Formats: sequence, C-alpha cells, structure tokens
Amino acid sequence: MLKVSIWRGVDEGEFIDYEVPMRANQTVLDIVTEVQRNQEPDLAYRFACRVGVCGSCAMTVNGRPRWTCRSHVNDVIDGDRLVLEPLRSHPRIRDLVVDLAPFFETWKGSGAVFKPSATRDDKPVKITADDPARKNADAGIECINCAVCYSACDVVSWDKNYLGPAALNRAWTLVNDAKHGERKETLNKALGDGGCGSCHSMGNCTRNCPVGLSPSAGIAGLKKFALRGLPKVEKP
Amino acid sequence: MNASIDTHQTDVLILGSGGAGLFAALHAKQTNPDLDITIAVKGLLGKSGCTRMVQGGYNVAIADGDSVERHFMDTIVGGKWLPRQDMAWELCVKSVERIQELENELGCFFDRNSDGTLHQKAFAGQSFDRTVHKGDLTGIEIINRLMEQVNALEVNRLEEHRAIELIPARDGSGIAGVLLIDMRTGTYRFIKAKAVLLATGAGPTMYLYHTPSGDKSCDGLAMALRYGLSLRDMEMVQFHPTGLLGGRDTRMTGTVLEEGLRGAGGYLLNGDGHRFMKDYHDNAERATRDIVSRGIYEEMRRGNVTSMGGVYIEMAHLGPDNVSKRFPGMVKRCADCGFDLAGGRVEVVPTAHYMMGGIECGIDTASASPGLFIAGEDCGGVHGANRLGGNGVGNSTVYGGIAGESMAAFIAANPNIKDEDQHVIEQGIARAEKPFGKTPENLPALRDSLYQTMWDKVGILRNKKDLSSAVSEITAQHQSLDDIGLQDGQRAFNLTWHDWLNMQSLFDISKVITAASLARNDSRGAHFREDFPHTGDLNSTCYIRTSGSVDQLVTEAVPVDFSIVKPGESLIDDEASVPPATA
Repeated sequence: MLKVSIWRGVDEGEFIDYEVPMRANQTVLDIVTEVQRNQEPDLAYRFACRVGVCGSCAMTVNGRPRWTCRSHVNDVIDGDRLVLEPLRSHPRIRDLVVDLAPFFETWKGSGAVFKPSATRDDKPVKITADDPARKNADAGIECINCAVCYSACDVVSWDKNYLGPAALNRAWTLVNDAKHGERKETLNKALGDGGCGSCHSMGNCTRNCPVGLSPSAGIAGLKKFALRGLPKVEKP
Repeated sequence: MNASIDTHQTDVLILGSGGAGLFAALHAKQTNPDLDITIAVKGLLGKSGCTRMVQGGYNVAIADGDSVERHFMDTIVGGKWLPRQDMAWELCVKSVERIQELENELGCFFDRNSDGTLHQKAFAGQSFDRTVHKGDLTGIEIINRLMEQVNALEVNRLEEHRAIELIPARDGSGIAGVLLIDMRTGTYRFIKAKAVLLATGAGPTMYLYHTPSGDKSCDGLAMALRYGLSLRDMEMVQFHPTGLLGGRDTRMTGTVLEEGLRGAGGYLLNGDGHRFMKDYHDNAERATRDIVSRGIYEEMRRGNVTSMGGVYIEMAHLGPDNVSKRFPGMVKRCADCGFDLAGGRVEVVPTAHYMMGGIECGIDTASASPGLFIAGEDCGGVHGANRLGGNGVGNSTVYGGIAGESMAAFIAANPNIKDEDQHVIEQGIARAEKPFGKTPENLPALRDSLYQTMWDKVGILRNKKDLSSAVSEITAQHQSLDDIGLQDGQRAFNLTWHDWLNMQSLFDISKVITAASLARNDSRGAHFREDFPHTGDLNSTCYIRTSGSVDQLVTEAVPVDFSIVKPGESLIDDEASVPPATA
C-alpha cells in the first residue's frame, strides 16, 4: 500500500492520510482518482486530457509542482510517501483545485496577444524553419499553460506585480514572430512594470517545465533585445 | 429541493470551448462587436475538449495539384457515401479560408517546406498529401492561439459550468436558455440567451477503452435528444487501433498512440509474438483504422493476447534512436507511463475515438429549434461512416466559425429574449437531484458494467444477437444508476456527483448507438455487422435517424441525397471545371 497525504480544505484545512493499492503503471492522477472513486467521493481535483497536452491537472507533489497525468508514482515518490497539495501562488478553490484565472490575466499584461499583419484572404507567408527568429519562437511555442512554472517561481510568490515566466515566454515567442503586427509594443510591455526586470534568473521555471521549455532563456533574450533593439525578422 | 437558481441573461451562449466553441465566439464578435457573449465550459476555457489533443493535423486543399473537389471526393468515398454532401462540400471549401485565418489572423505557425510554404503530409485514405500540421502536436498550436484571441475579447467566462438542460421557450417558439450547474459551488444557474451553440464535443467515452478527454460524456447529445432533436449516423463510432494499455484503473489507458507509428513500419504482435495483421489484410499494419481495429479485436476474441489483454506494438526493428527521433512525443509519453516504445514492446488495444454521428442541423449550423445551433463533434452528417484523419479539427473550426456568424445573423432578425418554460427547468433540477437522499452505492462498478457491455456487444464487431442483449443489459444498468444514491453535503467541485451525471448522459447515448446499430443491416466504414458483412448497393444508401424519448427510441432509414455526386461518379476527372453548386 502507498501512503498518500492530501490537502483537504481551502486556505484553512488539513492533510488527511489515505492508503492506496500499489499498481505497476500508476500516475499521481491515478492515485487521486482512486481516492475519489473509492474512499472520498467529494475529493476535488482537476484533469482533462490524460496525456499531458491540456495542462489542467498540475498540483504540488512532494513539494514540487508537476503535471500529474504524466508523473509516474515511481519517479516522484519519497520512500513510500506522497504528499499532495494545490499549486502555490494561485487562489484556492477546494482541496487540490486552484483558480487559474489570475494566471491568464498576466498574459494580457505582458502584451502576449498576437496581432495580425495579414488576413484570411491572404496566402500563408513564406517563412523557412531555419530562419533564426523563427527558431527562437519555435523553441518556446509548445507551452501547455499548465502554470507549473508560475507556481515554481519564487519571484511570483512574493511579488504580486510580476507577470511570471509563462506570459513572458509567450512574449518572447511573439517578438520573434515575423507575422506579429505589434512586436515593438509586446517588447515594451514585457520590459515594463512587472516584466523581465523582475526576474532573478533562478531558473525554477525551466527546471520544472514538464514539456522542457526554457522560459529563462526567453526572458534573457528579451533583456538582450532591450539593450540591442529588436532584430530584423524575415519580411513576410 | 434546492430552489435557489441564479439567473443571468446574455445574447449568445456557447457551450464548449474546443475549436468549435472558441471560433464561434470569435466570429460572433467579429460579425457584431456589440453582442454580449458567454462561454460556458465543463472544464477550463480552452483546456477541455479534444481540439487540443489533435496530433495529426488539418486537411486543406491548398497545394498545387490538389483541389477542393479532390478533398471532397476523398471525404465522400472515405465516408462510404453516407456523408451529407452539402456539409462535406462546405467543409472542404471553408477549410482553405480557415487555415489562412489560423495562420494570419490568429498567429498559428504550421510546419513549413524548405521553400517556406506550408508542409502538408500524407494521411490515410487521402489521394493527396494535404494535412497541414505542427509536428505531432497540431492541436496545442491551434487551441493556444484561439484561446489567446478569445481571452483578449470581452466575453463572459463560465468555467467549470456544466450544462444539464436545454430550456425551450414557454410558447414553443425556440430555445430560451440553458440550465447549468456551477461546478465550483455546486449550485444551479439559468442563463437566458437569444441564441445558443451546442459545441460540447460528443465523445464515445462509454466504451471500456476510449481516447477523448475526461470531461467528455455526450452531455450535449443527451440534452438534444431530450429537447426533441433528431440524431443521425449514431452507429458510426470510430475506433483507433492503437490505444495505450496501462492496466486496471489507469487514466492513461485508451489514449492514442499515433497512427504514424504503423505508417512508419511498426509491427503489431499478438500474445505469442506473431505478426498477425498479415493474416487479415495485404497491407498488414498499414491497412486503414477500421481494418486494423477489427484484426486486433479478432485476436483478442481468440485469446491471443498480452498479459493485460491487448496486443503489442513494436518499433525496435526500425532502430531505437531513429524511433526516438521521429516520434519524440510518443516515446516520452510511453516512458513517463513506464513503457519503452523505442526499444521494447508496448501493449495496445483498439480504442473508441470519435463519433461521426450527431445532431441533425443545416450547413448554417441551425438546428430544427429556432435559436439553437450545433457545431463540432456534436453535429452529425459531415463524415458519414468514417472520418478521415485531419477532417475532425477542420469540422470543428469551420463550422464553429459559421455558427458564430449564423448566431449573429439570427439575433439581428430575432432580437427578443424568450420566456422560458419553467417546468423544464424544474425537471432538469429534479433529474440532477435524484441521487441525493438515497443510500450511497458503488458507482465505479456500474461504470465498468456499461464499459464492458458497450465494448463486447456494441463495439468493433456487432451482430443482432449481441446488440439485442446489449439493449436489455444497458436498460437494467441504467435502472441501477437511477437507484444509486450519493452522499450529500459538499457539493462544490463534487466529482462523484458529476460522474453520476456523466453516466446518465452516457447511458442515454449508449442506448441510441445500440438502436442505430440494430437498424443498420449492412457493414460500412466504422460499422461492421457480422450478420450483414456486405455494404450492398451504394445507390440506395440510407442514413439512420434516431429520435424520440430514450426509452422509446424511433429509428428511421432516410435516403442520402446525392446532391453533388452519385456513386460511380467523380468530380475530379476535369479539375478545371466549375465547382458544383451546393444543395
């Protein structure tokens, strides 16, 4: 049997211990499912896709933020113990569920919204995959917005103005996107209040990103652009 | 009974936030920026549903040498002449505009050729390489960019709100709104709306093995049936041949290992290590989804299985490093679950993937009830008996956008909010309240029974005897669900209550699938009847329409209108000719 301590409650609450049968191919999501289905019908947790693309199921597992649908118990267990808590730095809803709405608000603050420079009547622009700016954008583009980096970031935890790694990573992909109509505006916002300047380069975002992105590299890139100005991108 | 209902009013209410729901919001706002738009979704906005999970890509006829006519013919032939032709035609035409909109207005960046033009890959069942993609994670690119645009709009977001009843107008003149449960508080909410889009994504999650995201449970289809709309092609459930098998009570079980693994030369081996697909078809593992699924299922029936009851997929003969390089996403996912795809064997099983059937509506997405519109997997008719890989996300995004425009136009002509039928609201609440106050019993065991019945008797190989016994088994199981109680108390984010509600929808739609499967006495596409193994005369092709109350379903065979092309004809003999008129 596996010993699992799960946070029950909202801001006020307690850890409750459960015992769950061990199985060969068990993820952390399977553990909370087992508890909900067979022991605590009202245990609150969130998941959707089950395959690591939707970023709905993240929580704090033995002290680290993780996606749970792809975290094999053997890889994250500490002895025979699992401690499960909600992601930090987000308002709590109940048990393991947090409200991600404020996290998505930060994306707007960072200027991380694509503005078109062409229309649906135009052919897709010719850009080659080896274009250097495009390579920068592609390296950061497959974010699943799971909020793990945001939760891992110490600056986020103490500085409520900081936009955080995910939003700045998106800003980085946009200033490298030749199709984005407001590259300069996005750069200015990303460099503005609560932007890249607040990052202490501790790298927790990159270390914890479940899909292997490096928001720290993007933030460093934005800072470099601040000094040298926007590079030219291949003209669409 | 909990009498407190929170009531709100909006112009456009969209249920669902996959490709269909989000495109509808965008296009409704573009058509009329003054519209008040509300998106209600069972999970988080843009994070639930299956558009995000798209691996393959997006079919679009934009390359030199390809044509809308060719895409259309592939869709019709692949759908075994069952698709609604005007809808399939609109899909093929509008896909071109939609892919350019995704690239240029939303900021998607799909994979490129060395000259900078869009790369289009080959996909099963298509006569041209037309599938636009972003690696093997196309859905993330599409839905992330869509979310970004919708998040930047002024729209009302009702996240973790589940719709439980479509509420008609008191005078019968159309839809008045939707009754929902705010899952975060466990309370009821009624949203009055001038127009409603049903885009909840269907999803065949009543089978033992299934691919869709966990929030899908056919709620939209079940509500539409109760509301009095008719469904079509509900016997057509597509099975993907290679779902991951992870063992009992694992959420990973049933999720798709991509088609490309077989395409690249992967082997399927039964429990004895024999490469069995050669026994079933000359193309072995590279045969189409339905043929490979039937081959695997047959081996399972004969007991030639692995320890967990499936078959193996093996890639190692292609070189483990090569496999890791070509399929990094799949290799990593298997590794995270404890399996070695690149160098070892991984257990797989066919898995219920997509419902070609759905609610009948027009090419403008309007249902038979004024003000109620349907798009995405909830809608039936586009794909007929089989969906081509790459036509699913096209269907959601094309028709989602059309729905947004149609709703804006509808509201311009019908600007008044309707008075709701209070009686239907009360019935909806009574249905949701049913389990409280009864003795709590084991829900998972009952879910397992439904899974098994659907898998064994209404699955990959069907016959009259099994289907008939499935009808009585499902009816008895549904009765048990009605008798099961839930512990009351904490209703906020109470997943077990929502499991119970999910199962109500799944039982309703399982009955529909079974009835439609009994009504189709031929085999084509995804539907295979062992007692009627032949397709028969294509010229007399009918689709199966199902309507009525769930305990008295009525099926009807309706002739397909070959409005654009007839069996034996083709549109692509002369590609320079004028496109055919839509019906």
